[in-house]
Amino acid sequence: MADIMTGDAMLPGRSALAGRAGMNVAAPDGGKTGLRVQEVAHIGKINIRGTKSIAKVIWNHTGCDFPPANNMVSSAGARHIVWLGPDEALLLCEAGMERDLRRKISADLAGQHFAATNVTDALCVLKVEGPDVRAVLAKGCALDLHPGKFGPGQCAQTVLAHAGVTIIATDENCFLLICRTSFAPYTLDWLQDAALEFGFVFQG
Amino acid sequence: MLIINCPHCGPREESEFACGGEAHIARPLAENSISDAEFADYLFLRDNPKGLFLERWRHSAGCRRWFNIARDTVSHEIIEVYPMGALPRKKDALATHAASWRRDTAAEKAAERAAQKAQKPAQKPAQKPARQKAAAKKAPGKRGGK
Ligand SMILES: [Zn+2]
Repeated sequence: MADIMTGDAMLPGRSALAGRAGMNVAAPDGGKTGLRVQEVAHIGKINIRGTKSIAKVIWNHTGCDFPPANNMVSSAGARHIVWLGPDEALLLCEAGMERDLRRKISADLAGQHFAATNVTDALCVLKVEGPDVRAVLAKGCALDLHPGKFGPGQCAQTVLAHAGVTIIATDENCFLLICRTSFAPYTLDWLQDAALEFGFVFQG
Repeated sequence: MLIINCPHCGPREESEFACGGEAHIARPLAENSISDAEFADYLFLRDNPKGLFLERWRHSAGCRRWFNIARDTVSHEIIEVYPMGALPRKKDALATHAASWRRDTAAEKAAERAAQKAQKPAQKPAQKPARQKAAAKKAPGKRGGK
């Protein structure tokens, strides 16, 4: 909102985990690092509420199904729609496109019952991957994280060590972890602690 | 720990949910037509039975949607999960609903009357505009009289 209050001037941006460094822990057995974490700072996020009646407009702007099947992500290129509930989804898009995209979607849906909210700065996305990523997440999450039960393309809103998160499986050993920006330092600290026995690397 | 089958997300751990207490408590919209004591039935009195109980739950850490559960408070067995606004289908759960003391309260009967009243204008849509016109004609006269 800084640009609204001060005209053209924007306050300098800062990602949720900027400045966090020096957290790496070598794998105790000297082998491969079990968990690698990276902040995906550049990704636009729009929360969309509405029923299937708005699906065509969403499709026009994203090429993705709305809503995706329960607990699933629908993707088209750099745009993804993450299922959050029966009439709620999270649209992920290219960084910097979210304001324009939200405006266009809202304009095309004028008069219909829906809500599109830019939540880019409210949420922090972490890419967590590595051979032991499922074992680490399982320490703080009650989901069945077996690859056969939670495979690529699946998502879930759940609790990771008391913090509300959205978990998206992008590959067998790779996840996107979306938490609130204010919970990002806590979530990162917890991941480091949980990964001590496997080795931990954080790239800001 | 219970594993609760969210109607939208599937089986999840109990810690993701919040219990909203007794289900099927209708708000008596026509509050003035019942006594304070009868309104208190709606506002304050909650059942705490030993055995089958119909409860509202919310998947607060997941999809954040409300739904109903028929649960045995002794064994914690979940007999049925069913949507808000619906009645359970399982025989035992339906019997529990019918047998509740709440079915006989003035508060619930007032809620039923209000619900029926709310449905009536929809059944006779032709009369509504006429009434509104009449009200609009009367209104300026009333204001002028003050
Ligand atoms: Zn749910």
